[in-house]
Amino acid sequence: MVPPGRQERAWIRGAQAGSASDLEALFREHWPRAHRAAFLVVQDAAAAEDIAQEAFLAAVRNLDRFDRRRPFGPWLHRIVVNRAIDWARRRVLRRETGAVELGEEEQDTGDFGNPFSEGIAAGLATLPPEQRAVIVLRYLLEYAPGEIAELLDLPRGTVNSRLRRGLDRLETILDRESA
Amino acid sequence: MSSDREIRSALQRIQAPDELEAQRRAWPLVHGAFEAREPVTPGRRSLRPLLAAAVGIAILAAAVTPPGRALVGSVHDAFTDEKPKAKAALTSLPAPGPLLVNSRQGPWLVQTDGARRALGPWWEASWSPQAKYIVVTRGHELAAIDPAAKGAVRWARSRSHAVRGARWSPDGFRISYLDGRELRVVAGDNTGDGSLRRLVGATPPAWRPEAEHELAFSTVDGRIELVGTDSAKTVWRTGPGEVPTSLVWSEDGKRLLVLAERSLRVLDSNGRKLWNLGLPIGPSGVAFVRHSHRFVAIRYSTRTGRSDLVLYQAESVPGEARFLYSAPGDFGTLAVSPNGRWLLVGWINADQWLFLRLTAAKVRAVSNIAEQFGAGERVGPLSEAFPASVSWCCPASP
Repeated sequence: MVPPGRQERAWIRGAQAGSASDLEALFREHWPRAHRAAFLVVQDAAAAEDIAQEAFLAAVRNLDRFDRRRPFGPWLHRIVVNRAIDWARRRVLRRETGAVELGEEEQDTGDFGNPFSEGIAAGLATLPPEQRAVIVLRYLLEYAPGEIAELLDLPRGTVNSRLRRGLDRLETILDRESA
Repeated sequence: MSSDREIRSALQRIQAPDELEAQRRAWPLVHGAFEAREPVTPGRRSLRPLLAAAVGIAILAAAVTPPGRALVGSVHDAFTDEKPKAKAALTSLPAPGPLLVNSRQGPWLVQTDGARRALGPWWEASWSPQAKYIVVTRGHELAAIDPAAKGAVRWARSRSHAVRGARWSPDGFRISYLDGRELRVVAGDNTGDGSLRRLVGATPPAWRPEAEHELAFSTVDGRIELVGTDSAKTVWRTGPGEVPTSLVWSEDGKRLLVLAERSLRVLDSNGRKLWNLGLPIGPSGVAFVRHSHRFVAIRYSTRTGRSDLVLYQAESVPGEARFLYSAPGDFGTLAVSPNGRWLLVGWINADQWLFLRLTAAKVRAVSNIAEQFGAGERVGPLSEAFPASVSWCCPASP
């Protein structure tokens, strides 16, 4: 069996050489988590789909410049999460200025799997986008705080404090719900 | 406190809505972009540092102010050197509702599934309120045709001068039109035709939505007048100004955009000017975002030769202009989908229609527009072969 890292490098090398099937393998491998991460940060189905799509399109556009010795996931997730944070901030800004949404998107809340997941999702929605992003990077995409700091161009201390504040707030909400 | 493991497992169990379908929708786009990409050659590579510097400066310029900071995503999207991969033909519309396309070869109807049909040898066409009929003009002739009956003529009348700018009132009971320089109104069933004003500007008049038979038109000296068509009484009239090329009401009838070659005036429901904007000579156009007083305007830069799409507010202050999209050359037509999510933009130089998703940075492009709307073997400039206007129904936009 080919180790995952080596397999991914082979796909990237193939895609850079023009192989659509290798690109498709990369896409299939990385789409679900990229899409889910975007959804958990923006909490909007249509926007999450757009963000994940745009991230893959950006990745394709920059494929020739990609250093294939490095893993593909962090590169993609950096694009996804930063775009998702930007989008979520813009939405907050629009709310604050009282401006009307450009289009009235239906809110689809996703499939939570169980009540605890539902509680987590509801709790995440109450956090600022920056805290949501570090929680998603830490627990969904499983990056270490140092890696998150690198992905988001933040000091490690900021990542740790956002994680702490986010988790504290989630805990409060979950405790309130279970009570 | 829940353990890290529990949080991890809970998050990993959450599925984004429509996850598989979203993946299915995304792959053709990603694959299309992959097929369209140009492998980096040494020549191109040498240009990249310059391009990267230009993009960097643009992003930095957008990021230095707090409002600019919020726009970084859009600016980045607009300033990349990439163009959306264009489909060779219009195979579907991204949102429901038919299009009425006024091309140089006559009007066309486009259904949501992309099916196109020429409506006959007419010069101009405009929707009835529910798209049941279409009012058309040709030479001295004014007619109502039925799009569901292959464009069958329901009624027609001839006038002494060239007829243009026909528009159906929002309730469907009146049609206004210009007979030479005379403004006239006829009932929707072709009865009661009569003159409203003898000498008016060449701008197609615009019915005020949410009002009983009130029509805005331009006088020859650029005054904008709102007239009650049943009483022929003036409701209000502005001072003189540049004669507009188009008049566009917001859906609630409380704002009126007066677009001219060198200026854009924003009026409230009483004809008071809220603000105005100077425009450079070049392509122009405006369209209201659905259910709002915000509108998209084309702003052309003579210095860069680019057209920008900019979002403004038709309120007492225009607010921070929000940059939406930019491309080299001329933008022409604008139309907002009935569900308010998509903006159709005619990109004349590229012979493309761009469909911009207003809620996210997403663009779809369709090329060969002139040819698809009857231009055939083109001999003149593209700007003459490209459709002059598009209206997306219902209610019709812009």
